[in-house]
Amino acid sequence: MWIIQHLPEWVFHFIFAAGVIGTIAGFVLSMVPVIKKYGIPIKVISLLVLALGVYLEGALSDNKEWVLRVKEMEAKIAEAQAESAKENVKIVEKIVYKDRVIKEQGVIVKQYIDREVVKYDTKFLPGGECEIPKEVINALNASAKNQAIPEVKVEAKK
Amino acid sequence: MKYLLIPLLAILAGCSTTVPVANKFPEVPKRLLETCPSLTVVKDDVKLSELTNAITANYQTYHGCANTVDGWIEWYNKQKSIFDKASKN
Repeated sequence: MWIIQHLPEWVFHFIFAAGVIGTIAGFVLSMVPVIKKYGIPIKVISLLVLALGVYLEGALSDNKEWVLRVKEMEAKIAEAQAESAKENVKIVEKIVYKDRVIKEQGVIVKQYIDREVVKYDTKFLPGGECEIPKEVINALNASAKNQAIPEVKVEAKK
Repeated sequence: MKYLLIPLLAILAGCSTTVPVANKFPEVPKRLLETCPSLTVVKDDVKLSELTNAITANYQTYHGCANTVDGWIEWYNKQKSIFDKASKN
């Protein structure tokens, strides 16, 4: 509430106290003959001040509760951010480790190909004993590029 | 009657139920933001070893991308659970 942000706390206590004292005084002073005629206005004003005081005291107490909740929430968020950063580090470490394994396995397979498969290169050369069909190359390249194979016409189902 | 609206509005101002604290969107590790590379294609006069190497490289690319996707899934699940825990009042 804006009024709580702009006025010091003692103002609310003062209004409340003034309301209480005024109400009591209103009833007590109405017994004094000279002031008796002012009794009703004093009572009315004092009760209004008391009502305002009670309302403001309630708002103040509610505001304090909210400030506590905000602090609690801020602490929770700070904790969550720290935990989130820690988890990110763990995830990255895991990914980097898996990346390294993938790379290492790839190197091993490449070495194997360069050592063993290479022996069959001449056999599978174009015009060789077992030439790799062009369709195989087309299929692989089309899959790699995620494109349709130009030579193959797909007939629509009737 | 219209003067009654002023104190009523002042009373309503104290009725907010949400804590005015914004939670920041969690940071994503840079590794997860890398895009998947294109797959290797081969020439028409490719040798068998080159073809096998290209296929192997493509499998390797797949495993790398799968690793990224797995990372995203894990990141989402972890961050969601942290967020849910922090949002509980």
